[in-house]
Amino acid sequence: MLSKIIKSSIIVALASTAMYGSSFNVQAEKDRKALIKYFEDKFADPDKNRNRFFPYSTDDELKNNMPKNVKFEDFAIGNYAWSIQGKEQYDEINEMPPYEDYIDIGEEIYTSSKVLQGCFPDVTIGGDYPYFSDKRGEIVTLGVAINECLTAGKQKPFNMKKGKMAHLQAYMVFQTREAGKKTNIKISSQAASDAYERGKEYYYSQKGYLKLSCASCHVQGAGARVRNENLSQLLGHTTHWPAFRLKWGGKNVNGDGLGTVERRVQGCIKDEGQVPPSVTSNEMKELLYFMTYMSNDLNVDGPDIRK
Amino acid sequence: MNKLYTITFATAIALMTSGCVGGSGSTPDVASLDVQNECNVKTHGVEGVLATAKKYNAIAQSKGLEFRRLGVNNSAYISAVEKALKDGSKTVQLIDVKKKKTKDKFTPEYAVQRSCKFAISALIQGNEAVNTWRLAVPGDGFKY
Repeated sequence: MLSKIIKSSIIVALASTAMYGSSFNVQAEKDRKALIKYFEDKFADPDKNRNRFFPYSTDDELKNNMPKNVKFEDFAIGNYAWSIQGKEQYDEINEMPPYEDYIDIGEEIYTSSKVLQGCFPDVTIGGDYPYFSDKRGEIVTLGVAINECLTAGKQKPFNMKKGKMAHLQAYMVFQTREAGKKTNIKISSQAASDAYERGKEYYYSQKGYLKLSCASCHVQGAGARVRNENLSQLLGHTTHWPAFRLKWGGKNVNGDGLGTVERRVQGCIKDEGQVPPSVTSNEMKELLYFMTYMSNDLNVDGPDIRK
Repeated sequence: MNKLYTITFATAIALMTSGCVGGSGSTPDVASLDVQNECNVKTHGVEGVLATAKKYNAIAQSKGLEFRRLGVNNSAYISAVEKALKDGSKTVQLIDVKKKKTKDKFTPEYAVQRSCKFAISALIQGNEAVNTWRLAVPGDGFKY
């Protein structure tokens, strides 16, 4: 009898813990579902919905370059999900992807470091970062975790934006992709929920001398064209990093265009006309936490190429 | 004794209220500022506008709201104007974030006016955003 009571108490305790734990992401899930609905509505029939979503797009763009009925899963590949011409170019480049060598370099960095192997015995963790550490009371990104591991092992930390950090992340994220894993960000405490909310506020707040928010371009503006480039959508923004950007490759003397998501986000905030937060600041980490949560359940697709 | 309680209570309320306002990160005096007037070089002189720019840009920096235009931080505008005034130069040489001299050449009057407007606008915008950001959130304030 006593054992039955103990067993049922444990079950009740576990169930209530699970329910209590999951309740912290109620608002985040509401946000994510509303965002998915918005983008699915927006890209259901761009030509038919031009007045509502694409008032400045041309007939040619809407009729010939945008497919209909783009679904949630499709958004994992960024704006190539809804740009026929862009997808053709993307597929062509991906026949011989320029990031391939860097995955091998990343593997070499990993296999030659006992410190890194000790910290990350499983490298298929690309979809689990960033996470909120209740112990520390802050967000931990993959870059931060790697550098803290190196520092703890008395090794020099990597540049958070490119080089070895991007190479190592490329290897880890590639392994995550090969394992078929999805973005899987958790919000399991009030403090984590608060961090998510701060990241969300940052994303939707107008900033800089151009008075733009991230959402101006990547929610309301997604699908619009700026000069000859299409603005990508928030949904799927974090699935493919580190990415090889043709722009970065062109500027690098060795042609190494691989960079981390922090590098790209900093660039975006600069484009708003604002001094960007540092790559390890709470603002940056919370922003990434929010953005990555929005891509929950999408396949990890990195490393990948972008213009 | 009752008076003592009343004074203590009133003081506590006053401190809590002021603490709340300060702690929320808002800058209540900024919303009422007339940017055109505050940053008018003819009215306040270059030195006066420079002091205003420095005052508000320091707050903007502390809140992570400082503006950057074409690779030049607002604080770099302020430093460049200070240097021009010190050297007695009629042009301001801006330095970008990569420590390179920019091609743009401004008069101190123009540069200080821009830095002042950038500093105050960043704060006004930051205050406004506290109330407006939800209007852009699908499923919340954004209707389509």
